[in-house]
Amino acid sequence: MKSKATLFFNAFLVIMFVFAFTLPASAGKTYKLGMSLAITGPTSDAGNPYAKGAEDWFKFVNETDYLGDGDKIDCPIRDDQYKNDTTKRFFEEFLDDGILIFLSYATGGNLALKRDFEEVQIPVIPASYHEGLIVDANYTFMPVATYSENAVGLAEYVVEKHKGTDTPQVAFFIHPSAFGRGPLEDTRKAIAEGLKIDIVEVVEHGTDLDNTAMLQRLQSKGVQYVICHTVQTPVATMLTDAQRLGVSAASFGEKGKLTFLGAHYTGGSDLIALAGTATEGYIWADSYNLTSEKNEKAKKQLELAERYGRDDKAANSHNYAAGILAAQIATEAIKETKKAGLKINRENIYKTMQALNFNSFAAAGPVTYSPTERIGVDVMNIYVAKDGVFKKIQAFESQYIQKVRAGR
Amino acid sequence: MSQNRWLATGNFFTSYKQEQRTFFTHLDRTIFTCFLVLLFGWPLVFEISNKYMLVLDNILIAIVAVMGLNLLLGFAGLISIGHAAFVGIGAYTVASFSQVIGENHVIITHFWPVLIVCAGIMGAIFGAFVGLPALRLKHLYLAIATLSFQMIFEWFIQFMSFFNQGQTIYVGRVHWFTGMVGRSDHYLFWYYIILFIVVILGFGVRNLLKTKYGRCLVAVRDNDRAADAMGMNPGLTKVYAFALAGFFAGVAGALHAYLYRGVGFESFTLHASVGYLAMAIVGGLGTLNGIFWGPVAIKFLDIQVEQFSEFVGHYLTYAPNVATALKPLSFGLVIVLFLMYEPRGIANWWRIVKSYSKLWPFRY
Repeated sequence: MKSKATLFFNAFLVIMFVFAFTLPASAGKTYKLGMSLAITGPTSDAGNPYAKGAEDWFKFVNETDYLGDGDKIDCPIRDDQYKNDTTKRFFEEFLDDGILIFLSYATGGNLALKRDFEEVQIPVIPASYHEGLIVDANYTFMPVATYSENAVGLAEYVVEKHKGTDTPQVAFFIHPSAFGRGPLEDTRKAIAEGLKIDIVEVVEHGTDLDNTAMLQRLQSKGVQYVICHTVQTPVATMLTDAQRLGVSAASFGEKGKLTFLGAHYTGGSDLIALAGTATEGYIWADSYNLTSEKNEKAKKQLELAERYGRDDKAANSHNYAAGILAAQIATEAIKETKKAGLKINRENIYKTMQALNFNSFAAAGPVTYSPTERIGVDVMNIYVAKDGVFKKIQAFESQYIQKVRAGR
Repeated sequence: MSQNRWLATGNFFTSYKQEQRTFFTHLDRTIFTCFLVLLFGWPLVFEISNKYMLVLDNILIAIVAVMGLNLLLGFAGLISIGHAAFVGIGAYTVASFSQVIGENHVIITHFWPVLIVCAGIMGAIFGAFVGLPALRLKHLYLAIATLSFQMIFEWFIQFMSFFNQGQTIYVGRVHWFTGMVGRSDHYLFWYYIILFIVVILGFGVRNLLKTKYGRCLVAVRDNDRAADAMGMNPGLTKVYAFALAGFFAGVAGALHAYLYRGVGFESFTLHASVGYLAMAIVGGLGTLNGIFWGPVAIKFLDIQVEQFSEFVGHYLTYAPNVATALKPLSFGLVIVLFLMYEPRGIANWWRIVKSYSKLWPFRY
């Protein structure tokens, strides 16, 4: 009998010994998030590095115990291939899994799910900076300045830097969709509020491989500035044609020539890779810190990319930085909620996000939200393409966008 | 007719009326009834996540749309590459009401069955209009005409500010006898509604094919000049085939609008039209049960490939665009293989299984 008890006791000790070495030192909590974006298919040139940025940041958070107490973030990243119906399916799947924050992607997908976000009361961090996403919406937290802010800001920049007493003659080169048209409408509203530019022509580009006729028409109409709001490929085609025709301005606002400017998705290292030397002089508004700035922030981004074996293309992409920032906002929201001693749930994270304030190495300025403010980084950097890279000229904040928003 | 109404082993009809029966044997009727009970009853027993309910709802909507396309392409022999545009007409009919009277207006939320029928009628009107070229055009030329309609539809939606330039137009939550259908019941509610519509329309198609109007469709497909000589009106038949297809598509569009609680342009592109075409081909053109097999097969293939490409992408990190290639590759491959080796679609496999089961074990 005694030997049987000893046997059981020894077996118990062995089991305890095995458990002691197999269980982690401190098993923290795991917070579930969900991300749906176009890693493949249309716009994957932006979605792919964006996904990598978010993935790397979450890996970093988990490996370095960034949240403390061994807590981790589990954020599955699903490829919706830019299809709204698929995004909706993933969103439902994530809700079934009990996610705390949804990291979304495209304008169309976000607009389609806008009502669901409000109903489910889930904080959302989109990759689209379409102004409409934050109109009549409480749960969408825009990471950076909107496309409209970019376009109106660039128009203001033109007014500020334009030499001469005449009104700057501007053309808009936009994507043939609501994504392209939205910022144009807001620029028109800014003009109605007193912004001194003339919109001479609006070009909704197709899939043209030659823009000769369009560029010559713009010149004949006396256009001096072309503000672009589309994706990189059509801008690259236009810039290459402008270089071939010799109509690109050598300096900002050169008389008789065209000065090209563009918003978030029109620029970056991918544009330089596509258009080469034709990009020189291109003015670009963006709220992310670029690695070409070679500052401390850029160093941190490159370190993160190197840590997870990313190639140069991804590491230097502003879309990689965008993915990092979206992941950082989610991480900081959880961290701050935890710090406040609140239970980690959607409701408390939403409350925390309304007062979130932190600095990110990926962004051009601090991320600040408030109960009435849904845009994280308000400041934009104005960059110019020079010697094969984008260099910062100055930081810029649109004044007229506030008037446009007030007029809604 | 066979003496044994449970196990008929051949065609022994003694009157046209007997041939008009929906179910030839009691066994057929019993199996079908059990199947229906199963379809309506399983959600009461098993709890399924919203994600899968959404997939099921989507398959049922595709079945409604493919019913129309199969009538047009399979039974009337008229090719259409613009079917998603007809579905879009239905969806945008609901969206138009939403734009004009507001997304939560009582007409949208309470009279949704009426709106679904309206959407179908609107689809039928557009279908008949687009079908007019069919009076003069055939085969590839007709395909191009329907393709043009698809292009016009896309252009129209994207440029009309009334349609929000293709961005989402919201549709409110519907009401049932028990009150507003909330988020938790949304997908289940629409599962029952769409299933009910599928059953009604399925019987409608089956009965149509037994009427002179249905026979006209087949006659015009096989030889329109012979049909004309037999006293049929091929022109009218072609136009009403398009109208019928438009009606089914319109209903599908309205269901899509209500299921997704909004209408966005991206769901009704040329790509979606090709998808419907693939469903019709894979299911089996000119067959009734092919209407059901096609959407089920293509939608499940879509999800399986999606999961497989994610799995592959996870291990082949050096080939990040493998999923981009896999999806269209598998989609195209399936269609090509079906056209090559089984042009009669999955419906033919069903026919083979049924024939075998009739002979098994020793029946003759």
